Amino acid sequence: MLFPTIQFAIFFPVVLTISWALMPHPRAWKPFMLLASYVFYAAAGWTFCFLLAGVTLGNQAAALLLHRTEDERRRRVIVGVAVALNLLVLAVFKYYSFFVQQWADVFHHVGLGAPLPLLTIALPVGVSFYTFQAISYVVDVKRRHVEPASLIDFAVYLSFFPHLVAGPIVRAREFLPQLTSPRDPDRVAVSSGLSLIALGIIKKVVIADFLATAVVDPVFAVPQAYKAPDVLLAAYGYAAQIYCDFSGYTDMAIGLALLLGFILPQNFRSPYRATGFRDFWRRWHMTLSRFIRDDLFIPLGGSRGGTLLTYRNLMITMVLVGLWHGAAWPFVLWGAFHGVGLCVEHAIGGRFKLPGWLRWLVTFHLIVLGWILFRATSLANFWLFLTRLTVFGPATLWTAPVLLAIAVVVGFQLPPPRLLERLQGRIERLRPLVVACGLAVVIVVAGATVSSQGVPPFIYFRF
Amino acid sequence: MAEPRDDSLMNRFDDFGLRRFKARDAVVSVLLVAALLVLFAGHSVLKAGDEMNPGIGRAIVVAVGHPSSWIAGQLPLASAAHTTTAFLNPEPALSGPGFAAVTRGAQASTVTPAAFPPATIGARAPPKVALHTLLVTGDSMSEPLDSDLAGDLIPKGVHVVQDPHIGTGISTTFIVNWAQLSAYQVKRYHPDAIVVFIGANDGFPMSGPSGQQVSCCDAQWAAIYANRVRQMANTYRQDGAAHVYWLTLPTPRDAARARISRVVNAAIEVGVQPWAAQVSVIDTVPIFTPGGVYRDAMKIDGVETIVRESDGIHLNAAGSALLAQTVLAAVRRDFTD
Repeated sequence: MLFPTIQFAIFFPVVLTISWALMPHPRAWKPFMLLASYVFYAAAGWTFCFLLAGVTLGNQAAALLLHRTEDERRRRVIVGVAVALNLLVLAVFKYYSFFVQQWADVFHHVGLGAPLPLLTIALPVGVSFYTFQAISYVVDVKRRHVEPASLIDFAVYLSFFPHLVAGPIVRAREFLPQLTSPRDPDRVAVSSGLSLIALGIIKKVVIADFLATAVVDPVFAVPQAYKAPDVLLAAYGYAAQIYCDFSGYTDMAIGLALLLGFILPQNFRSPYRATGFRDFWRRWHMTLSRFIRDDLFIPLGGSRGGTLLTYRNLMITMVLVGLWHGAAWPFVLWGAFHGVGLCVEHAIGGRFKLPGWLRWLVTFHLIVLGWILFRATSLANFWLFLTRLTVFGPATLWTAPVLLAIAVVVGFQLPPPRLLERLQGRIERLRPLVVACGLAVVIVVAGATVSSQGVPPFIYFRF
Repeated sequence: MAEPRDDSLMNRFDDFGLRRFKARDAVVSVLLVAALLVLFAGHSVLKAGDEMNPGIGRAIVVAVGHPSSWIAGQLPLASAAHTTTAFLNPEPALSGPGFAAVTRGAQASTVTPAAFPPATIGARAPPKVALHTLLVTGDSMSEPLDSDLAGDLIPKGVHVVQDPHIGTGISTTFIVNWAQLSAYQVKRYHPDAIVVFIGANDGFPMSGPSGQQVSCCDAQWAAIYANRVRQMANTYRQDGAAHVYWLTLPTPRDAARARISRVVNAAIEVGVQPWAAQVSVIDTVPIFTPGGVYRDAMKIDGVETIVRESDGIHLNAAGSALLAQTVLAAVRRDFTD
């Protein structure tokens, strides 16, 4: 079930009303929210609910075992097994086809047949997100950052529908405390929630989907049909599209959670304002960045073991970040590209003092270059796209709405954050009924821009 | 218990003093939004329900949609909102009788020479002509086939129009009426050749000759479907000025869908018969699912290769690339390089 759809517009008011009615009674509220979240998930495929339930039970069992054991060696084994099982779920559902196909190609070249059956396995929506959250929970219990939750609390945490299918990736220690006592009905950020939902709809439906249809999809599908100006526009267009698509989803998720009384972590902070790769990852998909930092980069040794080990750790981390996005070589190379960027930045350190605007300009264009790799359907498609950047000719897709959309997306991230926060704060302080009227107008206007084929799925649903 | 730092700004709403409203405000606001949407766009609910696949979700949306649509119809707000925002609609305005004419007037037509491909009667093939514009259309099955064909033909100077309509079908006119759309495509693009790959969403009940609803997938349903295919094929062939390549569906994994696809394929074969010389059926079943048996992978150039998407319906990039070669071979039989 997508957020900006009629189905969800029916589902959410019902859930919201019942949720607040049951909030003073946690014994009723928790099963209700669990049921609502599973109904939401079942809309994408009811069979996937069994996988979600299995991941919940398995990780809860691991957390309880950890809690009962003081022996550090045993605790390490338990957490190792739990993490491995979570990764196995990802491996089977997300990477099986990819790796088996690669093996089949290799085996063919040495005259052997495929080693394993070549099968396609349906990817359960959100599996990358909730397995990471499950890992985060078990690791947090192991590190004694949290006590094991009750099964129902953990199940609600993992399946809570606003963040279930595409994040933000919420740490157990951020969400579980919010479940221990009923949410305060007198302290709800209603206007913030409504305005974030409106902002998310504008980003996704009005900007991201428009850019996809008008410039990005046609050019990336057949780069050879376009000349340099259009190809360049598609590259900038995709940078704007993916930001609006993903951050739009996140805005809606955070807004919906706020209306239910819950706070989810921030996931974006003007990423195209970044003046370096490190800075970018502190602003883009922040909840993935910190998960990768805390649960992969630092356990690998982080930057504690000298320069070469730091580079190794950065590369491993970023290649895995790329692979997390999808089982395809362009994603792996995209991760490696960012890894190299981080290493170079680390090597340069503070030796070159470039002006801020130049650092921004270079970073932005390197990020856009990375996005071309990320969006390419194959390495051949990526290369073709790059080569078309050298073929000069007329600009056929440079329309005022496309240019305006890209300029707005990038331009809004450049002013000092305090200015934007002040503007946002003014809207969020308005009376909820005023913001609700604004949200209704946004939905009606955004709905008019949707084609007969409906709202396309969010890009990150594939991950 | 260690106290990690707050690197996710969990206190941001408290810091700015934004959590100052009541839960009641949240519920009332959301209900207000819902009420306003019913008043200004109430018809959309029923439309969305009609477009959904059968099931409990659709039943709920349709149940909500009927009163919403009725309320919106009683007040001028919805039509005012529609008029005000109409300029934002990205869709072309389709018009024409749609499929209704076919179902009402099913009569035996006279056989014409167009029913006989030259090879079947030992005649000489007509001379090849240059291909200027190729239209690739259909539902999601036509992607990424359209890009593969475009990738090959655009460098050769062919104008390739990619016009997929995701989620649509010939048996349903909720999202788009293919009778109207095909007429619009021909009028707008004037293609010399048309590749049609559609049917993955089909299986909806259709109106029979006397107006009754005919459910999938008996002979009566197949006949109605074939008539619709026939009307579209006739539109696309443009009185013989264009050549149509109509692709059948490779057997899907799901047994229920496989049953529908078998009937759809049979209806395609029958539907295009009057113009077999101008409408070629490219049968994908022997290529991807010989004997109508689903498979994920097959040998391509001696290498076992996955050719289907994980949904068990669509072709993946490798499968689509293979199919594109088959289509291009067919196109080259009729057009010069």
